[in-house]
Amino acid sequence: MSATVLTLEDVRVTYGEGAAAVHALNGISLDVRRGEVTMLMGPSGSGKTTLLQVMGCLLRPSAGRVRLFGESLEGAALAALTELRRRHVGFVFQHYNLFPTLKAWENVAIALDLRGAPRETLRPRALALLERLGLADRAEHYPAELSGGQKQRVAIARALAGQPVLLLADEPTAALDGATGQAVAASLKALAHELDCAVVVVSHDPRVLPYGDRVLELEDGRLKSDRRHGGNAHA
Amino acid sequence: MRVGELINPPPGTTLLAWRNLAHERARLAVTLVGIVFAVVLMGAQLGLLVGFARTASTLVDHADADLWITPEGTSNVDIAGRLPLARMYEARSVPGVARVDPYMVQFAFWKKPDGGTESVIVVGFDLATQRGAPWALTDGTPADLQRDDGVIVDHLYWDKLGITRLGQLVEINNLRVRVVGATSGIRTFTQSPHVFTTHARAQRLTLFPGYQTTYLLVKLAPGADRDAVRRALAARLPHVEVWTREGFARQTQRYWLITTGAGSALLLAAALGLLVGIVVVGQTLYASTVDRLAEYATLVALGAPTRYLNRVIVKQAAISAALGFVPGLAVTAAMAWLSRYGNTPMLLPGWLALLLAALTLGMCLLGSLVSIRRVTRIDPTMVFA
Repeated sequence: MSATVLTLEDVRVTYGEGAAAVHALNGISLDVRRGEVTMLMGPSGSGKTTLLQVMGCLLRPSAGRVRLFGESLEGAALAALTELRRRHVGFVFQHYNLFPTLKAWENVAIALDLRGAPRETLRPRALALLERLGLADRAEHYPAELSGGQKQRVAIARALAGQPVLLLADEPTAALDGATGQAVAASLKALAHELDCAVVVVSHDPRVLPYGDRVLELEDGRLKSDRRHGGNAHA
Repeated sequence: MRVGELINPPPGTTLLAWRNLAHERARLAVTLVGIVFAVVLMGAQLGLLVGFARTASTLVDHADADLWITPEGTSNVDIAGRLPLARMYEARSVPGVARVDPYMVQFAFWKKPDGGTESVIVVGFDLATQRGAPWALTDGTPADLQRDDGVIVDHLYWDKLGITRLGQLVEINNLRVRVVGATSGIRTFTQSPHVFTTHARAQRLTLFPGYQTTYLLVKLAPGADRDAVRRALAARLPHVEVWTREGFARQTQRYWLITTGAGSALLLAAALGLLVGIVVVGQTLYASTVDRLAEYATLVALGAPTRYLNRVIVKQAAISAALGFVPGLAVTAAMAWLSRYGNTPMLLPGWLALLLAALTLGMCLLGSLVSIRRVTRIDPTMVFA
């Protein structure tokens, strides 16, 4: 059995109050394990991104409990949550969110700098990560000079720079063509297994489903199904 | 930090700050123009203030006296009362006093050769000791004042006083004098030029009786305690005030710059420059910050603490300050250099350049506060929008 990284217990997120209240998450309970790629599927408005924000310590749930490595995050200060993200979480965004004024390797190195890596190690470590993702020859290029797939791989390299135990990807293939999207999904799966980190991918792209070890389906803020490839399905 | 790192710093807050500025050249240009304008405005006004202050006290600063004995109630060196010369002999008897010399400073009317009249300040000094003599002489020597009617006038005011050559005859208070020498750069705050001559001739030209003067200049004996001698002179001599040179210089500067409001006007204009700089830097930096909110939110999502974001903004402000300060200082220095040839002095001593640098940095940092406040409240979930 893989080690549990993150546990959610009856998590609820409500925006607004009274009659205008919107319940984005309605009692989600799940755990996320190392070395596993979890696909988070569901229609628009089902709460996928909100769930990802809660998992990434970016959003406090209105109710319920989030545990990282068994430790409850309830009542944790903003600074403490920021520290947790820096130490343990990596993000990959739909629109890459690369820094347009920095070259590819510098985008990766910023994440290393955030973790306090020594200056002299920034460039070699960033280049090694880009090489791992097949982008060694694009290291000196600015994001505007890269294709969508290349940008996303730079974003993945940046997310991996901090050696996260939890990698959260929000629609990482949505802006990519089919082949490139599948290549990115394959990279995520390979890295999850190779680095033994937990990967959660929010997507409504059915072509990436085969790259998940587990598929969670959300509907109206509730967990509709929890299936493992080659394993049992839980409703 | 190596030179290469200044131009191309390693990834971090400095690189982000520098690239944010460099990739928005039009906005950077606007920021720098604003900073240069503010630096020049502050530098010019403060330079004029320093220039005016030095000009106001120039006679005191150059008279080579340890102590000044002035008539009671004297507020500045240019507007003097009367002292009996007998005080000079009384002062010489005070222990610790090495020499006491009379010194005349008095307004008078100068009749120009073409018939016009100007106000001047006649400055009379003891020719024997030359304490209070003109400095920066370019033509003639103090010894030339031994001629019956000799006076020395700075070149800056020759046109104003209608002087065309050495040896020219003019009139002061309807008494004939001859220009026998010239100085360079002895300005007057009151715009009434200084006319140097001997003490006795100054008494005659300003209609003072021979037993009166305006000031007494005291030189202390080696090793004498200046403050003790000052107190002894004040106790010994009736109806006088005894000042240290620095004290009388400061009093004179205070009088002309504060009492007349001239200094306040200059300070107000300098403050206006500071305000303009804060507004320009604040606006452009804020616009840049708002444009890059998604990037700041990404940094927060990646785990950047607030201080990391603040550092990026502060460094943008500091880099802008440095880039704007250098040309601003160059323009200010050029203006100060050119002012040497005019009647309005503008000085830029090293300490003022350092003060300007500090003001510029402070101005830019103040301008960055609004941006800092904005990123402090950033919501990192906006990266998923």
